[in-house]
Amino acid sequence: MSLPTQADIPLAKGQNPSVPFLEVRNLQKRFGGVKALKGVSFTIERGRTYHLMGENGCGKSTLIKIISGAQSADSGELIINGKLEKSLTPIGALAAGIETVYQDLSLLPNLSVAENVALTRQLVASGGSLARRLDVKALKQTATSALEAVNLPTDPEFLATPVEELPIATRQLIAIARAIASHAGLVIMDEPTTALTRREVDNLIDVVGKLHAQGVSVLFVTHKLEECKAIGGSAIIMRDGLKVAECDVAGQTKTQFGFLMTGKKLDDKRYRTAPHGGEERLSIKALGRSGGFSDVSFTLARGEILGLTGLLDSGRNELALALAGVAPADRGRITLSGAELILRSPTDAIEAGIGYVPEDRLSEGLFLEKSIRENIIVAVLDRLRGKLGLVNRERSRALAQQTIADLQVATPDIDNPVMSLSGGNQQRVLIGRWLTINPKLLILHGPTVGVDVGSKDTIFRIIQKLAADGMGVIIISDDLPELLQNCDRISVMRKGVIAATFDAETVEEEALYQSMISEDAPELQK
Amino acid sequence: MTGMISRTADRGTKENLGARIRRLSLRYPPLVTLALIILVCIVVGSINPSFWEVSNLFDMTRSSVVRGLFALGVLVVLASGGLDVSFTAIAALVMYAITMLVTDWMPNMPIAVILVIAAAGGALLGAANGVLVSLLKAPALIVTIGTQYVIRGFLLTFVGTALFMNIPNSMDAFGKYPLFHYTGANGAVATLPAYVLVLLVAAVVTWYLLKRTLMGRAIFAVGGSPHIAERLGYSLRTVRICVFAYAGLLAGIAGIMHVASNRLANPFDLAGSELEVIAAVILGGARITGGSGSVIGTMLGVILITLVNNVLILVGIPSTWQLAIIGAFIILAGVLFSVGRKR
Repeated sequence: MSLPTQADIPLAKGQNPSVPFLEVRNLQKRFGGVKALKGVSFTIERGRTYHLMGENGCGKSTLIKIISGAQSADSGELIINGKLEKSLTPIGALAAGIETVYQDLSLLPNLSVAENVALTRQLVASGGSLARRLDVKALKQTATSALEAVNLPTDPEFLATPVEELPIATRQLIAIARAIASHAGLVIMDEPTTALTRREVDNLIDVVGKLHAQGVSVLFVTHKLEECKAIGGSAIIMRDGLKVAECDVAGQTKTQFGFLMTGKKLDDKRYRTAPHGGEERLSIKALGRSGGFSDVSFTLARGEILGLTGLLDSGRNELALALAGVAPADRGRITLSGAELILRSPTDAIEAGIGYVPEDRLSEGLFLEKSIRENIIVAVLDRLRGKLGLVNRERSRALAQQTIADLQVATPDIDNPVMSLSGGNQQRVLIGRWLTINPKLLILHGPTVGVDVGSKDTIFRIIQKLAADGMGVIIISDDLPELLQNCDRISVMRKGVIAATFDAETVEEEALYQSMISEDAPELQK
Repeated sequence: MTGMISRTADRGTKENLGARIRRLSLRYPPLVTLALIILVCIVVGSINPSFWEVSNLFDMTRSSVVRGLFALGVLVVLASGGLDVSFTAIAALVMYAITMLVTDWMPNMPIAVILVIAAAGGALLGAANGVLVSLLKAPALIVTIGTQYVIRGFLLTFVGTALFMNIPNSMDAFGKYPLFHYTGANGAVATLPAYVLVLLVAAVVTWYLLKRTLMGRAIFAVGGSPHIAERLGYSLRTVRICVFAYAGLLAGIAGIMHVASNRLANPFDLAGSELEVIAAVILGGARITGGSGSVIGTMLGVILITLVNNVLILVGIPSTWQLAIIGAFIILAGVLFSVGRKR
């Protein structure tokens, strides 16, 4: 028996091509005293791409929650497929053909790929009732055809793999495959590209094209202007609970978008201006870790900013973790300020003066429910010890106050939980924590992932100031413009080694990208 | 293009044997359980060959039944992310109340009817656990510790504390009805009772429930991440009530099996065996945090615990050592299953 190919996947069900898929009319929503949505209207046509853009707190998350049935609006109308939906529930939204891929991807970690892709369809078909036989054959077929549509493998071993064992980029595609499998008419992707490298973004663009071919619309919720421009489509721009503009992505410059989203003028100027001092701070010789990276050598001067990029499997993450002492290198030498270091644990790294700001601040960096103060002081508890070995309250408050002032964290009270802050402010708290150890070397992994345009500007200024004060900085990022704006040099990793190093002032973004995706065996730089 | 984003980081480095064993045992934890069972069998069998005698094997099968029924219930609750410790109390109440009812009022009630009543009674008590857990939004462990005490207290206060030495005929007959006879070389006859089939049926039904129904998948979904499952349209309340009712149902049946095999009904029986049953399920590869586990693993876990309980005496190890050995196995399983997962 031949499995159905993607051409066999029926078009979104209940299609009535003469009406738009979704009409949103004058939605309003209030939380306590705050008006999150002040009357938003727009239309989603079939088979098109939209980008919902705006800074954190502009109301776009609330809007998405209402459309996907997770929250109800105070007033306004949702018309799906020409039908007015009065009270939308999550399963009702799915049944109506709206599939939301949240940032956490809504994947069940312990279930298999096939189940994550295809179970929703059976659940929707049963109307949410669980007293049904599981159709294992249909499950496999649905999963296979949907996975084919997103260019993922369909062998039995992959179908049976628990999702938690897969890298984040693959999970992303699985979530999209689920949308295809449940015959969605509209797929909402909440910041889908934060964890993807450039090549995977290209793949995503490819997938979006396939969705369109089946009459499926896609609504991206995003901060990333470059990617909007690469993907194309219409932009719906929000600010302070209002739609401020709707326009074609292609016709606008990044500066114009930035202005619409923030109401302030931004540009993609180079933040890095001052040259570094020259005195050597960090030297790495033939560093390696089996299965991760090998023969990595470079030096970093006092006040220099080095960018490090590469695909997800290039070894750049492993190199960062080795320098942070999380997953130590097993060969090679690290010398910091003239002293040779042996990093066996994060504690070793902290004691040596290496601060590491991880990529995933939510799961690896911050204690979300703890206060801002506690999050800032946690790396230097020893230093704050007072009588009886307890943390001295005044000194810890003073340190936390000083740090949030330095980093311009917007908060009324340092005893508020970190959770209460926006992404950009959370990131600044995390950077602030590492500044409390007075690091000689600061490693920033994806410093502006999930951070909006206005906040990015502040974080970049902070990074430049730290370098100007003499700190050595390494930025690991997929966001090439971010590296070009901030670094002195940019090293590209490929297959576990440093394949090329560029002068950030002169190199073009395209050259960096080509170097990242090149299939050539990299020549070692000794 | 797809190769790059397909699997976990695979750099083509050769896996050594240790790593491969760890990966396999991680993917299929019951293999570890099976290996431990084989190890125990080989060690005990070579020290004392009478281990392999059919009568001994029949004995062990028989004593797995009640534990096995309990373990299947624990597995289902554990898979949904909960933990049930009230099942022994439910079994004790159901077995004692029904034995009393049948003896006093209708001594000729057929065993089929008795089993149905026991299952229904157990399911009802279990469902109450489920309602409490989902209504109070309290951890299942806390709620079932509470209900365990309440049920046991109710049993001893209002139902009775006296032993039933003469159990109803139908139950007695059910406990004796043979499936196989085996005549050993020395002429001794070993009998495998038919009631072991109840465990087999329960295992198949549980397998079907978990693997072949939407409810089964919903149980694992909720065990994996309740918030995400709810967002995807699974009803947490339905799942919770169902898993506890199912565990109660099995506990009710287990109660009757206990009476039928021991030929007496003691209201003080079964108490205290909760941890041993949970240990069996964990040894079978289920994570204590929920969202995993399999019927085959659970059955292997039950066999392992039963082995250790029954055979150490054959090799001259004092029975007090059983506990320490079971404990060592649990720690070993915990280490094996958790170390690999951290990668």
